[in-house]
Formats: sequence, C-alpha cells, structure tokens
Amino acid sequence: MAGLALQHVTKIFGRTTVLSDVSLEASDGEFVVVLGPSGCGKSTLLRVIAGLEPQTSGSVSIGKQIVDRLTPRDRDVAMVFQHYALYPHLTVRENLAFGLKMRKESPSVIETQIAEVAELLEIQSLLNAKPQELSGGQRQRVAIGRAIVRKPRLFLFDEPLSNLDARLRASMRVELKKLHRRLNVTMVYVTHDQIEAMTLGEKIVVMDHGTIQQIGTPDHVYHEPGNPFVAGFIGNPPMNLIEGIVKPAATHVEFHAGALTLHLRAQADVYAERGILGIRPEDVCLTRPGTNHLVLDGMIDVHENLGGDHLVYLEVHRHRLVARTTAETAKNIGQSVPVYVPEEKLHLFINHNRIPLKRHE
Amino acid sequence: MTKPFSERLVLLIGIFVAVLGSLFPFFWFVMTSLKSQIHVEAIPPTWWPDGSLTFYESVLFDRHVLTSMGNSLIVASSTTVIALLIATPAAYALARLRLSGKAWMLGGLLCVAMFPQLVIAGPIWQILKRLGGLNTHWGLVLPYVTLTLPLAVWILATFFKELPLELEEAARIDGCTAWQTLSKVMLPLAAPGLFTAAILTFIYAWNEFFFALLILTDPAKHTLPVGIALFQGEFTMPWGEIAAASVIATLPLIVLVLLFQRGIISGLSAGAVKG
Ligand SMILES: Nc1ncnc2c1ncn2[C@@H]1O[C@H](COP(=O)(O)OP(=O)(O)OP(=O)(O)O)[C@@H](O)[C@H]1O
Ligand SMILES: [Mg+2]
Repeated sequence: MAGLALQHVTKIFGRTTVLSDVSLEASDGEFVVVLGPSGCGKSTLLRVIAGLEPQTSGSVSIGKQIVDRLTPRDRDVAMVFQHYALYPHLTVRENLAFGLKMRKESPSVIETQIAEVAELLEIQSLLNAKPQELSGGQRQRVAIGRAIVRKPRLFLFDEPLSNLDARLRASMRVELKKLHRRLNVTMVYVTHDQIEAMTLGEKIVVMDHGTIQQIGTPDHVYHEPGNPFVAGFIGNPPMNLIEGIVKPAATHVEFHAGALTLHLRAQADVYAERGILGIRPEDVCLTRPGTNHLVLDGMIDVHENLGGDHLVYLEVHRHRLVARTTAETAKNIGQSVPVYVPEEKLHLFINHNRIPLKRHE
Repeated sequence: MTKPFSERLVLLIGIFVAVLGSLFPFFWFVMTSLKSQIHVEAIPPTWWPDGSLTFYESVLFDRHVLTSMGNSLIVASSTTVIALLIATPAAYALARLRLSGKAWMLGGLLCVAMFPQLVIAGPIWQILKRLGGLNTHWGLVLPYVTLTLPLAVWILATFFKELPLELEEAARIDGCTAWQTLSKVMLPLAAPGLFTAAILTFIYAWNEFFFALLILTDPAKHTLPVGIALFQGEFTMPWGEIAAASVIATLPLIVLVLLFQRGIISGLSAGAVKG
C-alpha cells in the first residue's frame, strides 16, 4: 500500500494542453476524488498515473518510488473503466483470474482469491457467465472485482458509476465507501458528479480545463470555494453569483451591481475593481435569520416543490437569486417579499480568487 | 411475424432464381463429370448421368491432378499464412496509432487492390526473373501476397477499430506486454475477421489463373486452375475430365467454408452492424 504524488505533470497532445502543471498528493489509504466537467482531462490524468500514456513533463510517484519509467504492468495499479472493459470472450471467473495469471500466480492462490472477492462483491453465482449476459450493475461489480482481486497498491476509478441508473448509483456509492474502509488502499476516483465527490471523497480535487482549481476536504471546497468556478460547480442548485464592482470604504465594503447596492459590514484588502459576490441558495432566507444580515426587496418569480425542499426563484433588484427553503413560506408568484442574506455566508471573488471578508462587530 | 403469402412467394422465387443461377454451371459440371464419354457427346444432350466414375479415375491417375492439387495447397496456404502474418500487425497499427496520413495509406491500399492484373504482369515477371523466382512456388506466392494484402488489411483494420481501446488498456494494466495484449485479448476478439480474411485470401490464391500460367511453366509445378486448363489437347476438348477435375478442385473450398461458416458470416456482416 502506498500513497501517490504528482509533481507538475503536464500532458500535451499535439497542440492541445490537456493537463497543465498538475500537482497533487494522496496519502496512504486516502480516498481522493477528482471532480471536473466533461473533457477537462480527468481520464487523461488517470491514464498518466497508470502509465498508459506518458506525460509530457513532470513526474508521478507511487509510495516513495518514482514510476515515470515503469510500464503499467510494473506500476502495480488497478483501474476500473467507465465502460467496464471486461474481456467479452472470457467468463467472469476468467476475467477475474486474468491479471493473476499474467502475474504467474499459482492456480490455488488464484482460486482462493477469486472466491474471496466473489463473496465480498456477491457475484458467486455469476462466475461462469460471460459479460454480455450480465446487467450493468453486475458488470460493474465484476469490473471492481477484477481490480481488487490482484491486491494492487493503488486503485484508479474512471467514472465507474456513470452508466448506472440513479438508484443503483446510490447503492454502489455506499458499497464503494464500505469497500474502501475495508481494503484501506489509496484510491483515486474521477467523476463529473459532485454528489459522488462530496459523499465519497476524503479529499476533493476540482479540475477545469486541465488545471487544478482547488484541493480540499468536501467541507472545505463547499464552504470556502477558492474561486467562482468551484463555487458554481459544486452544489445543487449552484451558488448564486452576481458580477459587480467592489469598492472599499473606511468601515465597510460596497458592492454595486446595476440597481443593487450592498454595504458589507466587513473589511477586505481590495481596491475598487470588478468582483463577484456569491451566496448559496440555502443561505438565502425568506424568514428573518438570527445573525447579522442584509435585507433586500425581492419578488417571487417561480416556485418549485422538490418534496422536502422548495426552490424559490427570486428577482432581486433585477438580479436572479435562487433560494432553497424548507417551509412553504410565501409561495404566491409575483408577490413581493423581503429577502434576508446572512453576512457571514457571503463569498467575494476578485480576479478568480477568493477574498476573505473580515467582519467587525 | 409472418409476411403475407404473396410477399413470401416473391421472396421464394427470388431466392430460387439466385441459387439456381449461381449453382447451375456447377450442377452441370457435377452431372457431366458423372457421365461416360458417349453420354457427354450425345446430341441431344442427356440430363441425367449414368453414374460412371471413369472420368474421375482417369483424372486422378493419368493427369497429374493430385500433383497440381498438392501444388495449389502449398501455394494457397503459404499465401494465406504470410499475408495474415503481415496484415495483422499492419491492420492493428492502422487501426490504433494516430498517424497522420492514415486515410491516404488506406486509400492507397485500396488502389493497389484495384490494379488490373495485365498492368502489373510485366513488371512482376521482370522482377521475378531478376530474383530467380520464375517457375518456383515462392515466385508465385510473392505476387499473391502483394495482391491479397490490401483486402486482408482492410478487413482486419475494420475489426480492430471496433474493439474498444479500454479493453487494451485493461489488458496492459492487468500485466500484458504489447504482444500479449494482441495475442490474448485482441486476436481472440478479432477471430471472425481473421477467418474472413484467411478464407478470402485462400480462395483467391486457389483460384488464380493468370499469374500461375505466366510464372509456372514446368507442368510438375502447375496449380490446379492451370493444370485443368491444359487438359485441352490440340484437337480435343475433354469436357468430362475437365468437369471431374473441377469438382475435385472445388471440394476443399467447400469443406473449408463449411467448417468456418459461422465465423465468416459474422465476419462479413461485422462492419454493417455495431455491437
Ligand atoms: N490521445 C489523444 N489525442 C488527442 N487529444 C486527446 C487524446 N486523449 C484525450 N484528448 C483530449 O483531451 C481532452 C480531455 O480528455 P479526457 O478524456 O481526459 O477528458 P475527461 O475529463 O475524462 O472527459 P469525460 O468526462 O468526457 O470522460 C479532450 O478534449 C480530448 O479531446
Ligand atoms: Mg473520461
């Protein structure tokens, strides 16, 4: 078992830079989730780690060992692919045995290891079937089984749940989490689904266009997004973001965006410049909160009932704000309502960086 | 789902005409080969053979047909083996590598396959003369391999392209070398393509007449098509013997096709349907 470290890894295909100066670390046994939109280079990142694709520059080490010159075979990693990639001409048992056979394990060892994994993943009854006879969920189990049967020192998952329906995805998420706890091996898990990232990851690496946007715990990237991209990508519905002009004053910070003017009772090291103000939908209140807050005039535009929660789309000084509320407060469309914004929940970004707001009472 | 009767009737007639049209000459030869000399020359022609095997006897024992068949076997199987050994890695590379000008290469291959034989006959003869390949079997195999390669590469490249890249990557991570990835994962999956390419190559080499006539002059080295054609005497046309020899020449192909039928059918239709 071993951790993983990438140092300044860059990957260029022809003229397109797919990974640009990517550095990240996973400690021994950590579950790291790489989160980013489609096409941002997640699969390429995994393929570089596995040794399937050489990086243009930078280095990869597994454990304490630099593996840049090792073949995929010698890196001792396992990968679960997006489309399962089970060998169609082999039975499930042969699929599981394949990697062990290639590594010249003895038949008795192979037999016991397959039995162990089959029991763990509850696929004993499928061992003699061919992959095309299995359902999507069963194939996914076998693919995971093929990865863990070899006991590699690092697991790579490439969007393993994206082909499953919502229910199966939820239950596989739970199982993956259990599996990680049980095996206690370093895992790198790639996904574009922020729910998977939040629920599975001990550490989340947010990527966009081949560059790392932020690295942190799920709580950290959620509550203190490092830039507007992270703020907008994580969370559902995404954070409300309003572009405007930031002006520092002696005792407060002013924010102007068209018809909207806010006086934030806080200080920040800024000059007068363009900035983005953000607030999460669940922090926009329609009832007066206990903390320091700003009050705005809003008008209810659309109301969506999600069962437990309600989404209220508001028009506030010509800006669109989404509020997530529990109580069915004021659901008349077209009605004017006061909108409360707790000051400590506001996020300020200037030049794609988070600017801390130092509050003073 | 059953189609209305009239529609099925049209279908049946169509199938019947197609089968009859393509099988009739062969059927006539089989009939002729089983007649005796008097019936062959009878006017008006008789339909049903008398079941005489004299033509077969004379073909098998007086006319070197067995020798020619041996020659054909050697030439056709060497051509098939060599063509596939070259075509497989070539097709794999064309299917997988991101080469610039790949489309041109594939297009060029197709052009080569379409050269009229007469155009290249002269150069080939000259080259073989230089190499000392005239009147040898390898001298015949060489142009056969060149001429069958494009088709084999095309068939195989189509197959390799349809196999997902992820499978190969899975194999490499599972510990395969590049060669093991090809032999343990890619080739078994491309088996229908291999069968198809092999059979088509074999049939081409087995049937080819023009180059065989041009390159081989020694009767002991003739392949079947040439051997049979040279039955013809100065004044006679031994139809019965030609028919019997043709039947014998066709039998190995029929056996081969029947043996690999399932593989070939899925191979020929693979490009059409994804899956
Ligand atoms: N071998 C290659 N040659 C050229 N470009 C490539 C190659 N592989 C990937 N790319 C490009 O790199 C970019 C990132 O691809 P990658 O597959 O890593 O994205 P991804 O984040 O995994 O996307 P998805 O979520 O859709 O799987 C894409 O724009 C793709 O076109
Ligand atoms: Mg991908």
